[in-house]
Amino acid sequence: MTSALEISGLRKAYGDIQALDGVDLKIGRGQLVGFLGPNGAGKTTTMRSIIGLTSVDEGSVRWQGAPITLDDRHHIGYMPQERGLYARMKVHEHIAYIGRLAGLDRSTADTRATWWAERVGLTNRSDDLIQELSTGNQQRVQLAVALVHEPDLLILDEPFAGLDPVAVSMLSSVMTDQVERGASVVFSSHQLDLVQDLAKDVTIIANGRTQATGTVAELRQRSPHRVLEIHWSGDIPDWAPQGADPLAAVSGASRWRVAADADAASIVAAAAANGSIASVSFEPPGLEDVFLELVA
Amino acid sequence: MRGQAFEVAKREFVTRARTRGFRAVTAILVLMVVAAPIVMSLLPDNSDELPKITIGVAADAPEGFADQLDAIAQSQVELTIIDLASDSSDEIETRLSNGDVDAVFEAPSTLVWDDFENPVIYGLISAALQQSSILDQADAIGLSPAELDRLFEPVQVSNRSIADDDKSSDVRSAVAFIGLFTAFLLPQIYGQLTMLSVVEEKSTRVVEVLLSHIRPRTLLIGKILGLCALAVIQLLLLIFGLVLALRFTNLVEVPSSLWRFVPLLGLSVLGGLAIYTTLFALLGSLISRQEDASQVMMPVFAPLMVGYIAGQTAVFGNADTLLLKILTWLPFTSPMILPVRVAREAIGPVEVALSLAVLAAAVFLLIRLAGRLYKFTLLRTGSRVGWREAIRLSRGAVS
Repeated sequence: MTSALEISGLRKAYGDIQALDGVDLKIGRGQLVGFLGPNGAGKTTTMRSIIGLTSVDEGSVRWQGAPITLDDRHHIGYMPQERGLYARMKVHEHIAYIGRLAGLDRSTADTRATWWAERVGLTNRSDDLIQELSTGNQQRVQLAVALVHEPDLLILDEPFAGLDPVAVSMLSSVMTDQVERGASVVFSSHQLDLVQDLAKDVTIIANGRTQATGTVAELRQRSPHRVLEIHWSGDIPDWAPQGADPLAAVSGASRWRVAADADAASIVAAAAANGSIASVSFEPPGLEDVFLELVA
Repeated sequence: MRGQAFEVAKREFVTRARTRGFRAVTAILVLMVVAAPIVMSLLPDNSDELPKITIGVAADAPEGFADQLDAIAQSQVELTIIDLASDSSDEIETRLSNGDVDAVFEAPSTLVWDDFENPVIYGLISAALQQSSILDQADAIGLSPAELDRLFEPVQVSNRSIADDDKSSDVRSAVAFIGLFTAFLLPQIYGQLTMLSVVEEKSTRVVEVLLSHIRPRTLLIGKILGLCALAVIQLLLLIFGLVLALRFTNLVEVPSSLWRFVPLLGLSVLGGLAIYTTLFALLGSLISRQEDASQVMMPVFAPLMVGYIAGQTAVFGNADTLLLKILTWLPFTSPMILPVRVAREAIGPVEVALSLAVLAAAVFLLIRLAGRLYKFTLLRTGSRVGWREAIRLSRGAVS
């Protein structure tokens, strides 16, 4: 896939603190990428550098093959981690205002503001002041503000933080819609189960450096471990594969982390010799485990 | 960029203008400037009243002296003459010390005072005695009353002033003071509004969303334009109200030449607003909390105070001193000094034009410089950013 956005070798220091120490990130057109990392890994600094809010010491940010310009940035929608809205503006007015700043004419901005207010579930609150909304609803406005100009690239910094399940569902469907429209979407989140469900591709950074990038399936496959799960039909035997790390399991089952190159057939045969097996699974670890392996 | 600056300006204007605080303050101010002349016009006017003087006339005054005194005093003072012919010396002194009479005339030509001499009374008595003497002498040489009237027929003296008919020092001073006060107050009020607006954008992080679409300098210019427009509208409302009230009451006749002063006042106030709102915006970008505002504002108040104090000396005193000439050229003080010196006619048109040009150039340069600093300081949160640090780090920032 051709990269719409390509970040390579970003470095940024704040005094003695090296915030970015070689971040690489590629996002293709119509691609949804989860940008993952522990707190302080450099996710927000990277996202801010795409928009031009942070100047970097080294590295490049390229948009459709050329260094990104201010005009290119008009085609970016940004939802910051700490929500940024004018408390004393009305919902519709605020969305339309940002639309006009992004280059929409008055009429289009108004139409889009109305449409987006409805899309994020705030039709009845259009004339309310932002300060009168709950935190969750303010986040809905923030999303509408990021999308009102139909950006080619959508950058969402922790968009799911603090949202209720209904809002999470709405946001997920909006993100999917944007990808179907052809926009590129990159978002950060600590809710890895959500990321795994939503994004096909992820980039994981830690200590200001890209640790891994690829599809979720690839990253799981690349893991040096596998998860062996055996459901027993009778009592759980006092047995464990050699060299395996026990993991939490549901009732009537046992789980272990084993080496990826372990002989699964031999392990299952040994298990069968010690108890009655109902079912067996031998799979790569989930995204959360992969993440922990990479950033630990 | 123009469209974006206009959008920012419009938002600033509309958001501030529709706050209850702004509307209430504007309404109260307009009410005050309209009501003040009306109330003053309704108060009793005592300015035409004649000064009241009481003179005691002791024994042996020339015949008809009291009548002559009364005739001379007419239209100059409201004179009361008390006959003290029957009073003793002690009684007369008591009347003087009690203030019952302002002076006592004793024939043939002595005035007795309690303490200080009153030149008006002295002049009246002297004139009355002179007239008595002339009448006696005219009678002695046989002049008829008609001949005497012709002899003393008054010559009508007409007045001609080398100054314009409408030149009124008091009105000029008043207008100069209004100009000074306006140029001093508006930049403070709107400068602080600008600063609070910047701090609000920083503290709510909305600035990050804004700067993902527009340049920091565009944001700064839009903010300044919006708030300056609001200040001008408020000022125009006040001037309109004041002019209406003055015309309605006929309380003060404003010299026609002073109307030429209004556009210059407008330019000075605009220049002052632009330069100080820019400075206050920069100050706002150095801090992240409104509580820290007072810490950073002090340096900006210094030139404002210097301009105001120097301007006051020019309102009521010499408006053409070396200090005032220097302050006319400095862009941080000229918005206050210029209106005063123009109203007092202490500055020529060339100097006015050059001073305004310097002011305009300073505003342009300051906005450019502020645009560079703004990007770095706006996005910096947490502890206050020092000027040196801002300048050093902004060298690498893109404006």
